[in-house]
Order: sequence, then C-alpha cells, then structure tokens
Amino acid sequence: MGDDNPLYVDDAYAREAGYPSVIAPPTFVCETNQYAHREPNEDGYIGQSWELPITGCRMVRGGHDYEFFRPVLPADRISVTWRLEDISEHHSGRGGSLLIVVVAATFTDQHGEILARNRETLIFQPLEASR
Amino acid sequence: MIAPTIRADSLRVGQAIPPLERTVSLVRMIAYAGATWDWHRLHYDPGYTAARNLPGPIADGQMFGAVLAEALLDWLGPRAFIRKLSFRLRGMVFPDDTVRCEGEVTAIDAEKDHDVVTVAMRMRVGDRIVVEPASARIALPR
Repeated sequence: MGDDNPLYVDDAYAREAGYPSVIAPPTFVCETNQYAHREPNEDGYIGQSWELPITGCRMVRGGHDYEFFRPVLPADRISVTWRLEDISEHHSGRGGSLLIVVVAATFTDQHGEILARNRETLIFQPLEASR
Repeated sequence: MIAPTIRADSLRVGQAIPPLERTVSLVRMIAYAGATWDWHRLHYDPGYTAARNLPGPIADGQMFGAVLAEALLDWLGPRAFIRKLSFRLRGMVFPDDTVRCEGEVTAIDAEKDHDVVTVAMRMRVGDRIVVEPASARIALPR
C-alpha cells in the first residue's frame, strides 16, 4: 500500500532502532492468506471458508481485532491456529437477518511463543436483501 | 540516522494524529492481492464485479488495518510498538478512491517500563465513513 518505513527493508536502520534485523509490518502476518497450497475456486479464492453450510448469502468482512506481542522477524517460523469462536443470527430492523461468524487466529513462533492474534468478524447477508 | 520516537510526555489527550491519505488504485489492489495471496476476483476483476451489480472491484478490508498501522508508526516513530489495533468496516472502497485516515489521542497511561497511548481513529472517502470505530494501544519507550 505504499508504506515506505525503512524498518521493513533496511537492516542497518532497523538495528540502529534496536531490532535484531528488519521486521515485518505489524498487520502483515495477519493479512496474509495461510492456505496458499490450495487450488483457486471459480471466484479465484484459495483461502479456507470454514466449510459452513451457508448458501444464498454474500460474505462481507465486519472488522478485525489484532493483538501484537513482539515484532515478527524474517528468521521466525510461524505456526497459525484458527478457531471458530462464535456463530450468531442477528435480526435487522427491516425484517431480514444476518449471520455473524467470529473466527480467531493465533500466530506462534518456532519456540511456541505467541506473536499475534487476529479475531475477525464475518457477516453473511442474504443475497436477496443485499440488492 | 533513525527517525525520533515520540515520548508520551510530549502528547496530550485530544491531540490529533497527523492524517494519512492513500489513493487505492487498481494496480495497488492487484499488488495487495498478490502480496497477501488472496486471489478472490472481487478484489481486482472489473468483469466479475460488473456481473454482480457492483461499481468496481472492492478493496480488501484488511488493507485498512495496514494503513491505520502506517499512520500510527509514521507519527510515533521506529521504536513505537502497536499492542492492539481494532477496526470496523462500514463502507466499500473502489479503485481510485482516496482514503483518509484520522484520529486523536484518547488516553495516556504509565506502565512500569513503558507509556501506553490509546487512540481513536476512523477512515473516510470524502465525507463517506468507510472505517469506524477504530482504536489502538501503542507502547512507547521512556
């Protein structure tokens, strides 16, 4: 997105600022798709979709809650665990309803120490109501 | 020479964060999709979105977390560390929209080894809100 912060590319600069090497932009590990080994579907999507039996809906992203515990370094080997935290139905004022799905990813390093957490809210809207 | 990191004692509650603007071109959207391995056609294929009655490809909402973080770290400096960042998406952003990120300090707290600044933020395209509310907590060295 045009972020030119030298901490992400200039090793000498990052060391002078007190880091062991260049660091990753804070949200980068959370934004990057972790299911890159899959074949794209007809929409081009390769991520997981929780295999939820939801049809006739459009998924929109509701928001993110990130927590960061230390800067991520090129030397880190990252493991990610996803959990489906909550599914709830919300009725809107106009008589329609929405399905709100909350999922959370925990990122840990090669020593099992936590790096980051990403809790995200996904909103499934009925296709008819979204027109 | 590294950029200075702002000290908490130079900040005050209510102080504005320097605004950050980014124009979301289709090229940036394609680059972002590639960099994050999200190849959903919704985010870069005008034919795909036209067939779904959308005015154009929709910017991936996760992108705005990166812009919020950039605004904070450009302002506070290289030794600032974002501990928490939350944001809610309110509206769609299309190619060549210019998003503007703004906010203000809502609290400054002292911890044993750090000071922690809390901010409220939002993003808009013109007068239209696209991200709100957003908030962050950032640790600053003393």
